[in-house]
Amino acid sequence: MATVNLENIKKSYANGFEAVHGLDLSVGEGEFMVLVGPSGCGKTTVLRMVAGLEEVTSGTLRFGNRVMNNVPPRDRDIAMIFQNYALYPHMSVSDNIGFALKLRKMPKDVISKQVGEAAGILGLINWLDQKPGQLSGGQRQRVAMGRAIVREPSVFLMDEPLSNLDAKLRVQMRVEVSRIQRRLGVATFYVTHDQTEAMTMGDRVAVLNNGSLQQCDVPQVLYDRPNNIFVAAFIGSPSMNLYEAFLGSNKTTLSLGSQSIELTDDLVKLRKGLNRYAGKKLIIGVRPEHLMIPGSNDQPYLYGDVDLIEALGSELLVHFSIDARRVHASGVQEDLDTGFSISGEGVARAHARTNVSIGNRVQIGIYVEGIQFFDPTSGNAIWD
Amino acid sequence: MPPGRVFIFLILFVVSVVIMYPFYFMAVTSMRSQSQYELGKGFSFASWIQLFQSVPVAKEMLNSLIVCACAIVIILVLATSAGFALAKAHFRGHGFVLLGIVGGMMIPVQSIIIPEYVNFVGLHLINNYFGAILVYVAVGTPFATFLMTTYFRGVPEELIDAGRCDGLGYGGVFTRIALPIAKPALATVVVLQFIPIWNDLLVGLLFLQEPNVRTFTVGLGVLASSRVVSIPGLMAGSLLSTIPAAVIYIIFQRYLVSGLTLGASK
Repeated sequence: MATVNLENIKKSYANGFEAVHGLDLSVGEGEFMVLVGPSGCGKTTVLRMVAGLEEVTSGTLRFGNRVMNNVPPRDRDIAMIFQNYALYPHMSVSDNIGFALKLRKMPKDVISKQVGEAAGILGLINWLDQKPGQLSGGQRQRVAMGRAIVREPSVFLMDEPLSNLDAKLRVQMRVEVSRIQRRLGVATFYVTHDQTEAMTMGDRVAVLNNGSLQQCDVPQVLYDRPNNIFVAAFIGSPSMNLYEAFLGSNKTTLSLGSQSIELTDDLVKLRKGLNRYAGKKLIIGVRPEHLMIPGSNDQPYLYGDVDLIEALGSELLVHFSIDARRVHASGVQEDLDTGFSISGEGVARAHARTNVSIGNRVQIGIYVEGIQFFDPTSGNAIWD
Repeated sequence: MPPGRVFIFLILFVVSVVIMYPFYFMAVTSMRSQSQYELGKGFSFASWIQLFQSVPVAKEMLNSLIVCACAIVIILVLATSAGFALAKAHFRGHGFVLLGIVGGMMIPVQSIIIPEYVNFVGLHLINNYFGAILVYVAVGTPFATFLMTTYFRGVPEELIDAGRCDGLGYGGVFTRIALPIAKPALATVVVLQFIPIWNDLLVGLLFLQEPNVRTFTVGLGVLASSRVVSIPGLMAGSLLSTIPAAVIYIIFQRYLVSGLTLGASK
């Protein structure tokens, strides 16, 4: 078992492109650390540097107290699971799982015992003599897991291991991977672009964007107290509704387009930083579950036009538009990756039996304590 | 049967006849004596007996096999290691090196055979298996390297990475992962090299002139150039010489199609 420490890690390529800018991150013994971010944010590069498959340009990578920067992958005591599983097609399931042990020149009976145990845990006993080409996607994923766990490594590295599975199997394997990781208690780096996977699996989640760490914390903190617009928009599904707003000089009147709501004094006291924005523009973020449809007169509300309703069975996702300016965080949505858009679309969660139709103008109640505030220039959260 | 299929069937039939007729001619002619051949009828094993009496078939077959096997083994060693390096090592200038190797495929053996002969005389490599083997290796390696490079480019990087994480160095990845999964490409190289080397006459005539190192095709060439030429005897020898190539093709043909279409699709 080992802790993994990344100290000011940078990665740049021969063409001058810097993929990772001074990353500081530590993973404790047995901790499940998820690296999440959009495509091209550098998360796989970080994982490959930890594995030794990419050189670290500068900074220090440690496993425990040992500096690993120049240690080849085979001497790092790591096990890696790849997106496409990377099973050896010419070997049977049994040989795939036991290959690393064979390379360590372990006795055949020990290999056989350990392979059998891993296969038992993963439900692969009946497939040990098959070749990977004869297995389903889920079974191949299990073999890849088996190959990793049988080695009892110091560090697990997983590069989007569930992304090739169908939605139902992915949910099932998500639970299984988490269960096995907790059982083995090995420090784990898990790369994904799926924020649901990140939130459900990680002890802590590191959100990356453009090669920089945006925030690293336990999932609930990321959700409740995002550091900036990027984290706010990336974490949560559906995404947080972000709008350009204007805070009145009384510090409690918040205008969104032509409409306004009143903030509570308690909220303003809690968010001392709001004092600096009196009479200024800022960005507000509201989670879909903090919007109530229909709203009531005893709480702040806005009016919006219903554009689309998605019935999920347990709830409705009501897409609406208001006349405020919607803000998109750069990089979160690839097709809307710059600045502001003029329409004020938003989405709210509503009870499955809510009586609402497309085209309705509805009252949308806002749970003001749930509103997040961000600086319009830096995108950073406004707290103190 | 639809007219289109009938037409295709007819074309295939004609092509088959064109391809098979020489074999038919060789088989029928070899089963006649010289006089039966001239009469155009009869059946006899005389030409086969004559062949084995006038040509040291076993010795020359063995010589052919030694030259072929050694050349192919060397070509495989060079082509697979170079192909893997060119496809996966990403060293500076690898594109330029590959271009040079592909350029080597454009050089006809006839254009280099005389300079090679002159050099090999100086190196005492004439009438020596190794001289002929070197020529075959020089001629066959560029195409084999190109084929192996194309094949290894199709091997996912993750497979190489997985091998490295499991405890292998680049050499181990090459021998224990890349080579075993390259069977179709290896089979293609074996077939595509064996047939021309086995059938070659030019290099053998120049570099393997003495009877003790002569290959079977050279032996047949000598038979064909003797004062009295026995066509049935020559046909028997020719038929015999096609058998090893056919056997090699039959053994490896199940890999050949996938090997020949390497790189055609992802």
